[in-house]
Amino acid sequence: MKSETAKNAPLSTATLNILLALAGGNLHGYGIIKEVARNSDGHYRLGPGTLYDNLKKLMDAGLVSDAPPSSSSKRKSASTKEDDRRFYTLTKEGKDALAAEVDRLQTVVTQARSRLREARVGRA
Amino acid sequence: MNSMVSRFAYRLLLRLHPASFQDEFGAEMLWIFDEEQQQAGVAPLLLDGAISLLRQRCRIQSDPGQLSITSGTIITGPGIGPLRLLQGGITFSLIFVSLIQFLSQPNPLPCFTLTLQAPSHAEVVLKTTP
Repeated sequence: MKSETAKNAPLSTATLNILLALAGGNLHGYGIIKEVARNSDGHYRLGPGTLYDNLKKLMDAGLVSDAPPSSSSKRKSASTKEDDRRFYTLTKEGKDALAAEVDRLQTVVTQARSRLREARVGRA
Repeated sequence: MNSMVSRFAYRLLLRLHPASFQDEFGAEMLWIFDEEQQQAGVAPLLLDGAISLLRQRCRIQSDPGQLSITSGTIITGPGIGPLRLLQGGITFSLIFVSLIQFLSQPNPLPCFTLTLQAPSHAEVVLKTTP
C-alpha cells in the first residue's frame, strides 16, 4: 500500500536526489550529501537536517533501509570514525518508486517537447 | 572560538529535536556539521537544523500522544505550552544569532560610502561680512 502511494505521488526534489544517490550504491549520510552535490555539479546541496528528515520519511515508508558498509567503502574511508557510519540502501520498493518517478518525469519531458514543437510550428 | 559557539548552537538545536530522531540521527548530523561548516558556512547549516526541528515538532503535533523525552512532557494536544514556547524562542534566537553572524562577515553585502563635506568656517565668515 505504501509503495503504491509512493509510486503515484511525485517525489520532492530532496527525496528524488537521495534515491538517485542511493541508486548508485550503499552510502552513509555524508556520502549521500556529497553524491547529490556531485550529481548536480554542486548546484544542489542537502543540509544534514533536510537529509535526515527525508531519510526518516523514506525509511518509514520502506523505500530505504539500513545496509552493512561494503568492503570497498571501508577501504575508501579515510578515518576510523567514518567506518562507524550508518549506511543506507534502496529497498525493492525504493527502486520501484524511483523507476516510477523517472517514468513520470519522462512523460513530462515528452509532453513538454511535443508542445514546444507545436508552438514552433504554429509560429512559423 | 567561533566554531565552538556555532557547534554548541547546533548541538542545542539537535537537543530540541524529538528524542527518537535525536537518538537515531543526532550523532551523524553533528558529524556532518563538523565536516561541512568550513565549506557550506555556519548560517545555512543552523538554518537547516532549525527547519528540521520545526518539521519534526510539527510531525509530533500531528501525531498526538508521542512521548518527548527532550522536553520531558507528553505532547497530547495542539495547545502551545510554556516549554514549547521556550523551545520556539530558543530556535528563533538561534536563527537571529546566525543572521547576525552572517552580517558580521567582512563583506556580506555590498556597502556604499558617503562622504559629507561641510563648508569651512572661513567661507561662512566671508559671506556674512559686508
